[in-house]
Amino acid sequence: MPSPSFIRRKWITSAGGKRVIPLLLLASGVALLALIPLSVQSTYALHIMILTFVSIIMGSAWNILGGYTGQYSVGHAAYFGVGAYTTMILLQFRHIAPWYGMWAGVGATIVTALIIGSICFRLRGPYFVLASIAVAEIFRVTALNLKDLTNGAEGILVTELPPLKFGDTVITDFTTKVPFFYTGLITALFVIFVTRGVQHSKLGYYFQAIREDQDAAHSLGINPALYKNIALVISAVFTSVAGSLYAVYVGFIDPGTVFSLDVSVQIVTIAIIGGIGTILGPVIGAIVLVTLSEALRSNALTNALIHAGLVNADSRVGVFLKENLSHAHILIYGILVVIVILFMPQGLLGFARRIVTRKRKG
Amino acid sequence: MAILEIRHVSKFFGGLAANSDVSFEVEEGSIVGLIGPNGAGKTTLFNCITGYYAPSKGDVVFRGLRMNGLQPDKVCRLGMVRTWQKVRPLTNLSVLENVMVGALCRTNSLFEARRMAQEQLRVVRLDQKGALLAGALPIGERKKLEVARALATRPKLLLLDEVMGGLNPAESEELIQLILEIRKKGITQMVIEHDMKAIMRMSQNIVVLNSGEKLAEGAPEEIVSNPRVIEAYLGAEV
Amino acid sequence: MSIFVQSLISGILIGGVYALIGIGLTIIFGVMRVINFAHGDLLMLGMYATYFLFTQFHIDPFVSIVITMPLMFLYGAFLQRFFINRVLDALPQNQILLTIGLGLIMSNTVMLAFTSDYKILSTRYSSSSVSLHGISISLPLLVSFAITTVITIALYWFLLKTDTGQAIRATAQDREAARLMGINVKRMSIIAFGLGSALAATAGALISPTYYIFPQVGSSFTLKAFVITVLGGMGSVIGATLGGILIGVAESIGGVYFGSGWKEVVVFVLFLLVLLFRPSGLLGKSRT
Repeated sequence: MPSPSFIRRKWITSAGGKRVIPLLLLASGVALLALIPLSVQSTYALHIMILTFVSIIMGSAWNILGGYTGQYSVGHAAYFGVGAYTTMILLQFRHIAPWYGMWAGVGATIVTALIIGSICFRLRGPYFVLASIAVAEIFRVTALNLKDLTNGAEGILVTELPPLKFGDTVITDFTTKVPFFYTGLITALFVIFVTRGVQHSKLGYYFQAIREDQDAAHSLGINPALYKNIALVISAVFTSVAGSLYAVYVGFIDPGTVFSLDVSVQIVTIAIIGGIGTILGPVIGAIVLVTLSEALRSNALTNALIHAGLVNADSRVGVFLKENLSHAHILIYGILVVIVILFMPQGLLGFARRIVTRKRKG
Repeated sequence: MAILEIRHVSKFFGGLAANSDVSFEVEEGSIVGLIGPNGAGKTTLFNCITGYYAPSKGDVVFRGLRMNGLQPDKVCRLGMVRTWQKVRPLTNLSVLENVMVGALCRTNSLFEARRMAQEQLRVVRLDQKGALLAGALPIGERKKLEVARALATRPKLLLLDEVMGGLNPAESEELIQLILEIRKKGITQMVIEHDMKAIMRMSQNIVVLNSGEKLAEGAPEEIVSNPRVIEAYLGAEV
Repeated sequence: MSIFVQSLISGILIGGVYALIGIGLTIIFGVMRVINFAHGDLLMLGMYATYFLFTQFHIDPFVSIVITMPLMFLYGAFLQRFFINRVLDALPQNQILLTIGLGLIMSNTVMLAFTSDYKILSTRYSSSSVSLHGISISLPLLVSFAITTVITIALYWFLLKTDTGQAIRATAQDREAARLMGINVKRMSIIAFGLGSALAATAGALISPTYYIFPQVGSSFTLKAFVITVLGGMGSVIGATLGGILIGVAESIGGVYFGSGWKEVVVFVLFLLVLLFRPSGLLGKSRT
């Protein structure tokens, strides 16, 4: 009798007619999301959703390389940063609109990814992880030092975006968050769509075969170097797009915010917490992480504790929490990673699924 | 006609020779048994043939093509595939998907690959278990899965590395029948095995390795009566 | 020429501290095959402990080691016992992520307690130096090198001459065989992590008079520790000692000739080259 975790998850692989209902659910969900900016007035809510979309793009992009192909890159900040910097440099110093600059970023990222791939993919396991970190660090230090190009540690601040025009009609002048919302939503949906496409293709099977056993895959006619590089390029391109989107949205980047190890760790965390090697995992991870860290950053958690009467606002603890908890939103990444690795190595999604199967059986 | 020619193949690790000057030929459509005591260099020879190692000296010629230095994936695409002594299932994929990965070497269509995979699962009688995760199979079925996955790449030559190791007599018998069945499809096989009786029953030709060198080669009945083989190999076990 | 000699000497001196960091990481890796990504954060904790003891109790940084070291040994043992121990058989990636997570918790907790401001621990001698034939050497660096040397010698003695030390080395060589020989592998792992953590914290204490102290200071040292251990061959204590000094010198001389901003790039490029061409380390046997 196989244990529950060995039973194939039917609702993902089931074929044909059974897909109609999830598809309808998906379509109505997307429609609802698309309507949000019309009804929600709070710019803060939109802000959180935009951040969530960017996180979904980052997590899903990493998932293609780390989750499906099993290459745990902890250096994805390199691609995020190359995208962000290319777009911002072109925008601020060359006055090229970001929707063109982004493609230059993608081009630069592909070149970067192929160079990094040719170095790092010779290594396996922990050595690959270390090499990926080292490469990203080289980019960070380079961005700090090439002051003529990147403005060094001061970073690049963009004060004004050119309006997006179609012919002579101005579509948007980017004074609200709404255009960013839609750009983020569409890109996130696109990445999820691509992930799904990859999973249900030869490419996806080859990626997973390499993840499971590279030598066995090699003997079955799979060229590991080729397919790892394909996975890397797909992954890097979307990470780069996320970088461009983030940079233009926030309007400011410096080497610490886009090239640092923290960024790489955040990217991995999104995918791990949700559950790697699944389509929905990074989506769940992004929602959980962004919500929690924003709750800390905005002091919502402290306020909730005070409201609930658990903590007195004027007590030493209350004052301390109010002053400091907002600076420690990264703490939540750390705690979540530890909990997930120790207690639910399949991520939240896998954990939930196990509980569901257990309930059904019992 | 020889489908595979091993010509004076040697493989050195540092100063140590794992194979030295091994030569023999594999006739198309036959089953060749490769035997020898532990450490005789059988698996090393498989690795040299299938591209995991480049031979230090000598040539591996498959269907008239010199294979030295070709990567395993190219070797597979040219029609030569191996199984592993220690089975290597793709644990988190289903049984069917494991075999599909093999089939995808010959097609880009998932639909076609699924069809080919189901066909091979029927051959090894695992068609009822296609939906299970490969990691959930017991050892006997994992071995059969390896064979099915290798067969799905449509090989001309199949190299089986101790495919019966660790199996009970009934399972071994099943695999012997399977190997004989595969031969009927015209697929040449080279088999590493410790079970002498099984090797005698299946092989048309047997190659004996000892300390990396070819000790003897011939039909099963010649091998069992060869005094050098008895001394070096059988003598040690009897 | 004198610039070269001067940077060579200060490279060797700082390299001694790097060696301590590397030795700690390599012992942990050797015994448990776990790459500790929280290593720099342990060092950071050592810095803050030193800073705290100095500002609150006026204990000299070099003296406070006697408090910091055992405390951090216990802390490391605790981490091993309750966290690391549970992922010893997990995928290396998961081990890495766990230690990354623990590191984030440490650095962010420190940030909560001490804020993210840069602290400076200024002693009387922080900027004093001794002059020798026109070459000036930082005094705190010289003292820290002396202490490092003593600790390293003591550590070698411990690993080579004591029963526990030999058991640790046996576990590092072959965990399974050590278990069969009746060595309490679990206990050795706890000691190893405690030792690694104590060494990292000591290194932190030693550099605290000359470095900025801030919660995120650890990550650059974690990276350095990897470079050192990989250079020396993962798991080799002698390798880590030499690797530490080599990195100190490479940084110091790289800083002089490529500009101080680029010195880290020099180190990382060196790291990648070693990973690619001598994955078993500069001293290790090359892969066949």
